[in-house]
Amino acid sequence: MKRYFTDIYESVSSILGGMGITLMHLIKARNDNVTLQYPEEKWPRPERNIGFDHNSYNVIRSRLHVDMDDCIGCLKCERACPVDCIKIVTEKAPVRGEDLKEIKHKGITSNGTRKALVVTRFDIDMSECCYCNLCTYPCPEECIFMTGGPNAKKHPIDYEFSEPDRSDLIYRFAKKGAKEGLAEMNAKQEAEA
Amino acid sequence: MGVVHGQEMVLNIGPQHPATHGVLRLQVKTDGEVISEITPYLGYLHRCFEKHCENVTYEQVIPFTDRCDYLASMTMNFGYVVAVEKLMDIKVNDRVQHIRVIMAELQRIASHLLATGVFGLDLGAFTPFLHMLRDRERIIDLFEMTCGARLLYNYMWVGGLSHDLPKGFVEATLNFLDYFEPKIDEFENLLGHNKIFVERTADIGIMPAEVAINFGVTGPNLRASGVNWDLRKDDPYSIYDKFDFNVPVGQGIKGTVGDSWDRFYVRLQEIRESVKIVRQAIDQLPKDGDVHQSMPKKIRPPKGSIYSRTESPRGDLGYYIESDGSDTPSRLKMRSPAFTALGVLDEIAGGWLMSDVLAILGSLDIVLGEIDR
Repeated sequence: MKRYFTDIYESVSSILGGMGITLMHLIKARNDNVTLQYPEEKWPRPERNIGFDHNSYNVIRSRLHVDMDDCIGCLKCERACPVDCIKIVTEKAPVRGEDLKEIKHKGITSNGTRKALVVTRFDIDMSECCYCNLCTYPCPEECIFMTGGPNAKKHPIDYEFSEPDRSDLIYRFAKKGAKEGLAEMNAKQEAEA
Repeated sequence: MGVVHGQEMVLNIGPQHPATHGVLRLQVKTDGEVISEITPYLGYLHRCFEKHCENVTYEQVIPFTDRCDYLASMTMNFGYVVAVEKLMDIKVNDRVQHIRVIMAELQRIASHLLATGVFGLDLGAFTPFLHMLRDRERIIDLFEMTCGARLLYNYMWVGGLSHDLPKGFVEATLNFLDYFEPKIDEFENLLGHNKIFVERTADIGIMPAEVAINFGVTGPNLRASGVNWDLRKDDPYSIYDKFDFNVPVGQGIKGTVGDSWDRFYVRLQEIRESVKIVRQAIDQLPKDGDVHQSMPKKIRPPKGSIYSRTESPRGDLGYYIESDGSDTPSRLKMRSPAFTALGVLDEIAGGWLMSDVLAILGSLDIVLGEIDR
């Protein structure tokens, strides 16, 4: 008999207690609202200043980007990638550290390194990428980074990059026509010699 | 499954079922509503983690450990780097150790919040789940602030960390803890003492201490059975011996020691203890110290093998690494705590009703990514 009434008491009191908490949230927690109307409203991104340059580095991992003008084709990022989503092909440049206007190749990086190689293929398959950020650390020229990274001003943070087709997620960073242009130049040189 | 008698029926739960917490198939033999036998079938999420690790370098293994237990990635990273550091005999500085402990304990809070919240959800309590995920979100924001990723961090590296703490992290964490501490009591009242929840969990799926030990169950599931065993206390790794915290064990407040309610309650108590540890670690956090200080240029452990274990939110997480002196492990084995927890399911869930099986499964807090690897 006693058990019967304690059960009723416990049920009612615990449910009322739970309802009370819900009611408090209804009254009090207006400014603590967590639901956002997504496309119109967005969560603020955390600000973060540390890393390569203390004022401009942001660790947010959104999308890999390569500044081809700075890339020397050292393949360090390709080797660091655990899922092999970076594919690089390089060819020897005719003259070390010289600009090749025909294929828009820059001879000297912004760090002052003279390039010995021309990158003819630099593909990153972002559908394979696991966003571990391991490729960005070994880069000697700091030219591969997550957008919103060291060059945050040049490439704003963007994380909404859905594509209708999977092949659209393969980003080709190498200059267009670099391979053909280089072959043409070499053929011309051979003909002259 | 054996011989099925006249009134018995074989029923499949899963693999696509929200209450199985992933892709797990449970083949149950039922006699009416009563379960007589459960056979878990796993392997739906098998990604060849161990074999794959033999083909990548030691740094490249870390992103894969993230993906094993995707609800507690920090602690998975932690266990792996502790193992490799032991193998290479690397001593890391105090700041790194403190940051690692802060991250691991925050991750433990996040993981237990999800575990208890989803446990309620399995039993039909939707509101506590939303409350818990709201607060878990705040922890994930802290991680995003630190390393840029929300779930799969690759934050702890062999001999250090990928980044130092950002500016304002300590204040943000203390803010969060101040906000969060009163909420734990709220969760307890909202879910733990709710009569419906107690009726569904107390005295259900009792796991006696002998059964838990015989099956190798570890972590909160073992402690709920009344065994005081926590690697952070009993075999301290990193700097856990510096902190003052209790190990909550199941006391059978609502029913018998080792029932589903105890497993829930131990997790809730562990959240309180983790908050304590984070506060102490932040107090003692050394101001200076380079997080890349003791990172080796090239990770090439000497020939030999190591077994190292750490306490993940799900229990005793072990890594066995065999090195042949090259830059890739020649064998890497992970001892998964959730695997043993799933193994005990048949033992403790036999004889209970169909609806209780899902309650027991929820209380064990398994993650299929870690079981299948």
